[in-house]
Amino acid sequence: MTGVVGRSVESITGALRAVFTAEQLAGEDGVLQRRDPRVTLVAITGLAVAVLIARTITVTVLFAVVTLVLARLSAVPFRQLLSRTAVVPLVSALIVLPQAVLLPGETVVAAFGLTVTDAGIAYVVFFTLRVGVGVGLLSLIVLTTPFSAVIAAMRGLGVPVALVWVIAVTYRYLFLFFDELQRLVLARNSRTTQGTLRGGWRDGRRLAGTFLLRTLDRGERVGRGMRARGGARPPSPYSRQQPLDTGDYALLAVAAVAVVGAGVVRWGL
Amino acid sequence: MGPVIDAGGLTHAYPDGTTAINDVSLTINEGERVAVVGANGSGKSTLQLALGGLIEPTAGAVEYFEETTDAEAVRERLGVLLQDPDDYLFNTTVREDIEYGPAQLGQSRATAAERVETLADELGLTELLDRPPFRLSGGEKQRAAVASVLAFAPDVLLLDEPFGAVDATYRERILDLLAAHDGTLVVFTPSLDHVPELVDRVILVGRDGTIAADGSVRDVLTDRPLLADHGLRPPVTVRLFAGLVDDKSLPLTVAAAREFLREK
Repeated sequence: MTGVVGRSVESITGALRAVFTAEQLAGEDGVLQRRDPRVTLVAITGLAVAVLIARTITVTVLFAVVTLVLARLSAVPFRQLLSRTAVVPLVSALIVLPQAVLLPGETVVAAFGLTVTDAGIAYVVFFTLRVGVGVGLLSLIVLTTPFSAVIAAMRGLGVPVALVWVIAVTYRYLFLFFDELQRLVLARNSRTTQGTLRGGWRDGRRLAGTFLLRTLDRGERVGRGMRARGGARPPSPYSRQQPLDTGDYALLAVAAVAVVGAGVVRWGL
Repeated sequence: MGPVIDAGGLTHAYPDGTTAINDVSLTINEGERVAVVGANGSGKSTLQLALGGLIEPTAGAVEYFEETTDAEAVRERLGVLLQDPDDYLFNTTVREDIEYGPAQLGQSRATAAERVETLADELGLTELLDRPPFRLSGGEKQRAAVASVLAFAPDVLLLDEPFGAVDATYRERILDLLAAHDGTLVVFTPSLDHVPELVDRVILVGRDGTIAADGSVRDVLTDRPLLADHGLRPPVTVRLFAGLVDDKSLPLTVAAAREFLREK
């Protein structure tokens, strides 16, 4: 399955697999990396909640700026943040795109019997931006904090074990999912020659069937690997908690002000 | 020195109907050093998974430490290393993978950190600790997997092909680490060359998934017709000296062969 389809699948799976292992940034010396993981988790989640509360594009843009500033101060390259964040808002934009013609408002463009309104465009832009900023903030947590520290922080904050378990297992299996797909594509590419686009799609359908079986088998084997080292017990990674410092309190204060401020702007005093 | 593993009538058939192990009964005593050998497809890995409590056998049961048949209840005492390191290393960094067992099994962070540093040093992993396991070479992954199972210091080690793709230097280091293990050791392997250096007892699994032989290293590994019948090749020293000296005097290891030649 070489050619456009093969190369696309290979590059997409390689990039997504790398996303789940991009932990080198967690070792950088940055504002979020120096925080106690519990503080990072609470403060960034607080900011994401503030983004959800916000109902004006101005406030949402303000949170986008805050996200970018936090990324800069934490040595997270904008490009990496964007690559990790882009898929979700793009999919969201596609889902809400019909609103551009469904919402009543001033006509911006009319063609093929459809009328795009200013209110519709504003809604699509606002919704997409809100999702993008929210996902960007949550991405900052996993980019700047080792995954095991995030899990330990959740346990430390009293998040129910079942939820922590689901998050931990999902994260690991998502990586294995893309790892298995990339292996399969590489194995097939090593034994196929340049083909047509149609041939690539046909081959891709066959690959999908094999991939499903292999993923199930791999999942079972990795499950055994986890159980062999106590994986049947609730996740209990070592905590990386430390005494809170001024920076921790400052970040919590910023998050608290953001939540309250977003609430005041939306609902008034 | 009571039994740490006591298996009775173990049979396991896969959904496609293949019977991998067939009515296997065996006892491993505390402190014993055992190799389970057999050709490819003889069911060694399935037997290891069944003994390690990682698959539910179709028939039979395993009792651990004369206490329980529930492997999860004694998981911290059983170190089961799977054949493929890719199935064993699933965390985002090598360090997290080595720490995973001690953390899940409730060992202190200080003890785990000390063991991580020691094992990483012994197995040449220090520079690789913060790298994702999938970026390692085959031999590096194997070393990381060995470190991961040794990290929680289990009493009983059940290791499926622990040398895999490891190069000669690190194979020696792994051999040294296993030689220094003061608990029970069970190695599953199709290659017999290192078996005499590691163990005292050999269990030969036949192609039909039954136990074809169970005896001392010398008795089993010098029985060339038996090994040939089961698709196995004797260790290099046995092949070298076969026919030149009687089986009781055959040197089984390179060190023993050197000593033998020096005496002659």
